[in-house]
Parts: sequence; structure tokens; C-alpha cells
Amino acid sequence: MRSGKLRVPSNDLSKRILSEVGFEDRLEGFRLRERSGPMPVTMYSFEEVVSLLNDPHPRLDFEELEGWVRSVMGDTELAEQIGAAIKKGDNDRERTYSIRDFMEERLNQCRIEGGHNENIV
Amino acid sequence: MNGYAGKILRIDLTDRRTSAIDTKDYEPWVGGHGIGSAVFWDLVKDKTIKGFDPRNVITIMTSPLSGTLVPGASARTEVQGIGIQSYPVGWFTRSNFGGRFAPMLKYAGWDGIVIEGKADKPVWIDIRNEDVKIKDAKNLWGLDTWKTQEEIWREVSGRGYGRWMELDSERRTTQRPAMLTIGPAGENLSRIGCLIHDAGIASGQGGFGGIWGAKNLKAISVIGTGSIEVANAKELMSARLWAQAKYSTDLKSIDASWFAHFGRKRPQNRFWDPHESARLQACIGCHLGCKERSATGYGNESTCEETAFYVGYDKAKHGGKQTSAAYIATDLLQKYGINGYEASRGLIYIRALQKMGALGYGKKIGCGLDFRQLGEIEFADQYLKMIAFRKGIGDDFAEGFFRAAKRWGRLEEDLKTGILPYSYWGLPEHGYDPRAEVEWGYGSILGDRDINEHDFNFLFWWPSGAIWAGKRPQPPAEEIVKITAEKLVPYEKDPLMLDFSTDNIYSEHMAKLVGWHRHYTRFWKESVLYCDHRWPEFINSRIPGYRGITGEGEPRFFNAVTGKKFSFLDGMELGRKVWNLDHAIWTLQGRHRDMVHFSDYIYHVPYGGLGNYAMYYLPGRDKGKWDYIRVNGRCLDRARFEEFKTEFYNLEGWDVRTGWPKRGTLESLGLKSVADELERHKKLGA
Repeated sequence: MRSGKLRVPSNDLSKRILSEVGFEDRLEGFRLRERSGPMPVTMYSFEEVVSLLNDPHPRLDFEELEGWVRSVMGDTELAEQIGAAIKKGDNDRERTYSIRDFMEERLNQCRIEGGHNENIV
Repeated sequence: MNGYAGKILRIDLTDRRTSAIDTKDYEPWVGGHGIGSAVFWDLVKDKTIKGFDPRNVITIMTSPLSGTLVPGASARTEVQGIGIQSYPVGWFTRSNFGGRFAPMLKYAGWDGIVIEGKADKPVWIDIRNEDVKIKDAKNLWGLDTWKTQEEIWREVSGRGYGRWMELDSERRTTQRPAMLTIGPAGENLSRIGCLIHDAGIASGQGGFGGIWGAKNLKAISVIGTGSIEVANAKELMSARLWAQAKYSTDLKSIDASWFAHFGRKRPQNRFWDPHESARLQACIGCHLGCKERSATGYGNESTCEETAFYVGYDKAKHGGKQTSAAYIATDLLQKYGINGYEASRGLIYIRALQKMGALGYGKKIGCGLDFRQLGEIEFADQYLKMIAFRKGIGDDFAEGFFRAAKRWGRLEEDLKTGILPYSYWGLPEHGYDPRAEVEWGYGSILGDRDINEHDFNFLFWWPSGAIWAGKRPQPPAEEIVKITAEKLVPYEKDPLMLDFSTDNIYSEHMAKLVGWHRHYTRFWKESVLYCDHRWPEFINSRIPGYRGITGEGEPRFFNAVTGKKFSFLDGMELGRKVWNLDHAIWTLQGRHRDMVHFSDYIYHVPYGGLGNYAMYYLPGRDKGKWDYIRVNGRCLDRARFEEFKTEFYNLEGWDVRTGWPKRGTLESLGLKSVADELERHKKLGA
């Protein structure tokens, strides 16, 4: 069963994606603002990462993000899509938009559909 | 004395006396910070007193340009005194704000205000032209900053805007008084309490809100009906029209003016989603308007950091959509009178502690905040109230989060890991990190505060956005360095000042850039009070060749108003003098070279992680060739920073062993009496 580009997530994965992570599993990035400069953003949830990627000037380490999605969220399919987007993108803006779209799609799946596909671990 | 009102109001709160200082006595210091430092030097005999001490003197100064038509220079007010926010010493410090206060003070006939002593009970100051009264503030104490201003407006100009207010039989105005006031944070002696003016304008750094609270001073209200004599009104108008025609937005080709300090499509100083309906709002005399007033009434006049305080949490909580929570949380900062940087960085910090299991219900650091509500208005209100009223753990928050960490026994550990992002003097780090854009960090640690001076940030913004988007930055690094370096008088022949490569950031060249920056800002921006949002302008995208107004514009406007014949270099030299006077005050307060270092994490935690991603680019040389180089991912080297300090002290003529000023340096600046005073205290450099 597919929704957009990603398969529908399992219930377990949906729960993980909609939950907050602990301190050791946090992700760090920046919002760039003209007067404040790069403002540090500490993210403890998938939703916060999507929120940052929707910012006009987000900055974060995509390879670190790929690893975080794979190991902390346990979402192999999405991690591979992120990895492919990193390789495919000509610049970080393209990579940001592409990764944001994948992550937003995953977030919506988890919010709306709840997840039924047990094939994804 | 063209440009001046002619006298400075002196208020002794202890004896409830007012008097006047002749501005002429301090005219050689020009205005703003220069006069503030000189008055402080003269009136505070013991420079080692603490900020809460009644003997602390607070100066609130305007400049000769205040209240005139000079673009981006009419409305700034400089506040100085011994601060209470920095650590381990509350340094003699400064803060600065815009709006209506400075022009109104000048129109009332005063170039500044000097506050001494401590009232025995809460008071406010009512200034109506030359008539000054110290009034009982019993009915104001406990009110937030907005209510306080409403109450005083009602008392002074009861009938409101658009109605005539009679100051006497011959003088009347339709304006409301301009006010500077504290909220509950200041009343409760918070070290992160601000002075607030109008809806969203703050004098934020230093903890001046808490200092006013300690002095039992709730507010100063001023209304004036006078005007300012300008030496050459025709030349002032010509200069303004010249700046507009040459440097501001080109209406025939708006996109070409995307980087022009004298006008662009939309000044971007608010970090939340745009209001559905709002109009721009400007400080008096400003050609641009970086603030807003919205149809909803939320978030009026707030800009910069405070508008970013809650927006990320709001969006994450509400499915990526911003709600009114982001605006209202900012309004609460202004109403309670709390420093937005402390509130923002502090929230990141305590959330980390909560995630670590160190802070929360029943934890080692007991805290009643329910982080599941983060992003809701209720959470923001609860958090900020805790600070403002010192409720529960808020008693620690109100000390600033550096001191809170110390109380909790976490300071050393959390500065080592960097989860407490306070890099200099116990103060929250600005976004322009010392590990990347070193001139910001160096200027802060060699001074008294987060400099918050954006003069060289274009060197980061210009290439970083382009590279992120896969474009080639134009002009190339070598050209942007050439254009900028030409304006860095008196070091204009040394473009290596702008080389941010790791090999160069500890060099004599970088010491020159930091020195230039300290001297420029001390005079042109903090004494003459050109606004940091608009000045300096090195680069202007509209101009063929990109050369901005700086170097020519500053003295042209200044001379038109004052009738003096100041060159740009004269200003730089006076800036050096003011900087040296400040450094002498810090030396008497206990400053020594050994204290001048960053927090631990700056030396061993890579900025922005180790990843190879496009984030922070600055001009630099790679194998002798100029390029825009990536500077995220690096740390400062502790030993090499010591080398930099030696370079800097040598350049400034200070003792490299102690960092103290030398007699020869001070005397060459006309500061013999300062050298004598340092010698009396055995603090003169050898």
C-alpha cells in the first residue's frame, strides 16, 4: 500500500515518529535570521525537524539527519530516500526541499493514517 | 552648540533633587556613549561598586543627531552604568534602544539624564520641558510595562492622541510622552530585567531593569515642545536627498536594491510569519521602518530576537502552523520586561535539562513547568511569570541562566558540553558564533557584553545564502574584501583583516579588524548614535562597484548638524579614546588579561557539528587565493587565542602581561587624569 512516494508506516513506526526522543537522541540545527544570525535549534521530535525544514532559512547536517532517521526513528525506507536526495541534489537548497517533502509526507501518514503496513521496521 | 539642547538633567533619587549639567562641559566627548562614560568616570569615585549599589550612576544619553532628520540616527538612546548581568564581574556596560525617547528628550531641552542614588520608595520621573518632578509610583508598582505607560499617558496627556495638551500658556503638543519603564522583572531585581519603551522597544542587555528596580525607579516620562538647532539645514537636506538618490531603493529596479541599507523591498527584522494585516512603523526620523503594528494588536513594534523566542515551539506544537501564541509570548516578554536572549537560550537549556532527567517535577532541580504544553500560550506565560516574579525555580531563572546553572552545581559541566550556550562573560551567545565569525566573539570578550553590532555580518550573509542555493556568490571574495577593506580607515591598506581562514584568525590582521570595529562602534554608532540596523554600509547592491555609503555618509550628516569639520578618521580616533576610557573603568573593576577567555565549549566543541554542509561561509584565503570558505565545524584554539590577545593588546598600546592600559597610550589620547587614577590603584600597565 503506497501513499505518495513512501509506503504506509506501521503502527510502531508511527508511534515512534510522533513521540519525542530523549536528550541523547536529540538533533541540532539552525534557523538563519538576519539580525540574530544562525539561531541554534535543538529538536526532540520528528515534528520539530519538519518544522525547521519548513523555515525559510533552515540549516542542518543532512548526513546526521539520515542517520537519525535510520537509527533513532528506525525508519529505513525514509533514511534511504534521504540518502538518495543527498546524492541527487545539486545544492543544499534542493536537498532541503526534497528531504522536507519526504519527511512531511511521512509525518502526515503517521498523523492521518496511523499506519498498517507491518513490512516496514 | 548646534545639535545640542545644552544641558543634561541630573537626578538624585536619594535626596529627590534635580539639577543641570552644562553639556558644554562634556562636548569634547560628542554625545551618547562618549559623554556617558565621561560622566560616569567623573561621578562614580569607586568603580568597584556593584550594580545594585545606590552609588551606581546610570546615564541615559542622546546625541547631537537625535531629533534631527539624519536617516537612521535620530532616535537612538544610549544607556550606561555598572551592569548586573555579566559574570564574574558586573562590568560597566551599555545598552541602546530606538523609538521616540531620544528626540522627545531633546525637544524637552535635555541632552541626557543622569540618575544617582536610590529613592526610599517607588517613584517615577515626570519631565515636561524644563519642568521635572519626582513623583510617587505607589499606584504603578506591580503593573506591567504597558499598563504603566497607559497610566502615565492618562495622567500627563489624558485626552490622548490627536488632542492638544497644554504644557503652559504658550507651548502645546498633540504627542504623547515617551516613556522608559520597568516591569515586574525589574521590580523583582532580576538580572535579566529590561527597560521597555512603547510596546516593543527594549534596552535589553546589562540588567538595567533590575538596577532601576533597586533604585525604586519605575519609569521616566518625557514630553517636549522644543526643537534642535541645526548648523546647516540646507546641507542636511542635501545630504539626505543625496543618500536617498544614490543609495536607497531604486524604484525602477527594486530587485537591484536587495542589499541597500537605505531602503529595500521589505526590511526583515521580524522572525515570525507575517501578520495578515499590518503597517510598517518607524523610529522618529527613520527613512525605513523595521517595526510593525498589526490589525490584531499582537506583537506590535517587536523586532529581532524576541520575535523568534517562541515561534518554533508554536509551530511544532500546532502541526507546522503558527498561531497567535508566537506573537503573544513576545508581548509577554515586553510586558514583564524580560531579556529575550536570556529567555530564549534559557528555555533551550532547561528543556535539555528536563530531557536529561535533571530538571522537572520531583527532580534534583525541581521545576513545575509542564513541557508537554511547550508551544501553548499558557506555557510561555507560566515560564515568563516564574522569571518576572521569581516564583519557585524562577528565583534562579531571574538571576540569568548562567548564574542559575552555578546555583544548581552544573555550570562547569554544562559549559564544557555547550548545552549552556553562554560563551562570554556569563552572557547568552548571539547567533554569530565566536568560532565562526570571530570578530563578534573577540569584540565581546574584549569588551563587556555581547556586542550585538552587525557591521560585518554581510560577509556571511552575502555568500552563505548563495552557496546554499547552488549559486556562485557575486562579487567574488577578493572583490568584496577589496571594497570593504578600503573603508576600514586607518587600516585600509590591510585586506588580510578580512581573512577568516583558521590560519589568520589569531593574527595581527584580525586584531586590526577587531580594533577597528571597537573604535568605529564606540564613536559613530554609540556616541553619534547611528542605528545598527542601517550603519555602517560597506556594500550596496544598487551601486555599480557595490561601494556603500560608509566613510562618506557618517561625517557628512554629522557636520551638517553640528557645524564641525569632523573627518571619518577623527571619529575613529575619538572612538579609540572612548574605548580606552571604558577599558580603564573595566581595569579598575578588576579586569585582567587572565580573565579574558571564552567558555570551555568554544575551544573543543565544533561549531554546528562536524558535518560537511553549507552553513557558514566567510571570505578567507585558501593556499593564498581568496574564496568564500566554510567556517562551520571549527573550534577556537585556546593557545592561539592567547597569541591573538597579545597581538590585540600590542595594537591598542596596552600591557600584554596584564592587559591594562599604559600611561603613554592614555596620555596620547588626552587621558592623563585616567592614567593617574589607574596608577593610584596600581593598575597602570607597564
